[in-house]
Amino acid sequence: MRRRRFLQKLLYGGGILISSTLPYALSRFIAPEAKADPLSHLRPPGALKDDNAFVNACIGCGLCGEVCPPKCIEFYQRDGGSNVNTPYINPEVKACILCNKCMEVCPTASLQETPLKEIDMGISQIDRLGCYPWVDRGICGACVSICPLGDRAISYNMWNQYRPVVQDGCVGCGLCVEVCPHPSLPIRIVERAQGTVTQHRI
Amino acid sequence: MAEQSIKPFFLWKHLNKLRWLSLSIVFMMLIYLPYAHLYQTYEAAHAYDLLADSEKQVYDVMESLTSSFVDDPEEDLDAIKGNTWSGTFFGLQLSDPLAAVGQIFAGLTLYTPFLLTALIPVIFTLIFGRFFCGWICPATFIYELNTNFSAWLRRAGLKTGNRRFDRRVKYLVLGTGLVLSSLTGSVLVAGVYPPAIVGREIYYAIALGGFGAGSVFFVGTLLFDLLVARRGFCRYLCPGGALYSLLGRFRIFRIQRIVENCNDCAKCNAICEFGLNPLHDDFGQECNNCTACIAICPTDALTFKVKISDAPDMGPGHLGRQYLRDKEESIERAA
Repeated sequence: MRRRRFLQKLLYGGGILISSTLPYALSRFIAPEAKADPLSHLRPPGALKDDNAFVNACIGCGLCGEVCPPKCIEFYQRDGGSNVNTPYINPEVKACILCNKCMEVCPTASLQETPLKEIDMGISQIDRLGCYPWVDRGICGACVSICPLGDRAISYNMWNQYRPVVQDGCVGCGLCVEVCPHPSLPIRIVERAQGTVTQHRI
Repeated sequence: MAEQSIKPFFLWKHLNKLRWLSLSIVFMMLIYLPYAHLYQTYEAAHAYDLLADSEKQVYDVMESLTSSFVDDPEEDLDAIKGNTWSGTFFGLQLSDPLAAVGQIFAGLTLYTPFLLTALIPVIFTLIFGRFFCGWICPATFIYELNTNFSAWLRRAGLKTGNRRFDRRVKYLVLGTGLVLSSLTGSVLVAGVYPPAIVGREIYYAIALGGFGAGSVFFVGTLLFDLLVARRGFCRYLCPGGALYSLLGRFRIFRIQRIVENCNDCAKCNAICEFGLNPLHDDFGQECNNCTACIAICPTDALTFKVKISDAPDMGPGHLGRQYLRDKEESIERAA
């Protein structure tokens, strides 16, 4: 008899639990969350490659942001959906300096300690129809001179010394985006598969 | 026929003050740490002259506060970082047990190094029960001030809520939060857990320049406490409190009544933030060992005991009116 009452209680508890999760689940089906602009929302360096795995592992403690020397790591808030409280870097405002502090401090290893060359936040992509030297509107070279990785990440085009060309060694820290003087930011951080030169279709 | 009176250890009376000290230190740290981070970023940029006036003020104040303790603020101030949700303390990483449980449910994986960071809090909870809620939680600091505020309001003649609900609702909130965490794949319980919200929002407000969405929720809980139920969120809804209660069910350090000293004044019931019933020896798993009842007891009738279960109801206190009346009756009957 006691076991029966216990089972009954268990059933009631489960029923209440399931029905209390229903409204949230339904709202998620009706209104899928809006995706943030991937160009201005990079994950911090060393983040797990699969973004779902990253969101699963991250507990939103904010430690990475709290140790960041340039204070570039921000957090999803109202617009985050299930990303809420997870970190991102907006290179247009403030870019990562690849100091490794956030990877060292992360308690859940959702930011994994990665050697400098193996960090993969993306790759810089240059729009050759916007960049000043590429359209012969003067000399610039800001992106090349700021790059912490030097020649293996970005260098000048051989025939015209001030036209920047992104190399495969770029890790996507975004410092070039931060310093780019062009108002439309012809240099952006994109996924590695999209290449280093913006493709234009007419 | 004088009964021998057992006096509890005199320091138990003063533990409540120590608790307030601990709460305020934690809260002060949560305000200090974002400023320390700002100071570090200014230091790292090597550009004092380019700072705005308000930033220069922050820099100067933090420099005068910390320069006597650290040589290289950029590195040395990293020793203490984070909040009560997860943080580092001189190389020791500590996390809230709810963070560990939430992460297990969100990813459905076990990542041992992170789970180990919750080990020390879990061990302390097994020994001292729900002590986090009374001694450390930065939200408790605000909630208890809110309780005092509502007492002032009541003294001024305004009505504040004092309704009672089923305490088991918070276990439902914990279960729902964990199920939703595993459905959506992110640690959603952090969004309804006040200490995590408070730590985060103070950081957002000071370092990132504005409160986030969590502060709206937190103000909502404050209003709930003020207008509906006294300390209602902690009592009936907090998912972390539910987890701590479950862990602290068989805690070793318990508050217990000394029935010989008790005079049934029921001040302990009135002061108890969690709506427990010390007067009838009913503490249960919810007690957070906050020692407010020990501090207020006028006859030293409450003390700490090392036991794993509460005493059964010991009846009216021996100094109380009811007890004396019963005694007189029995004497009369015998005569």
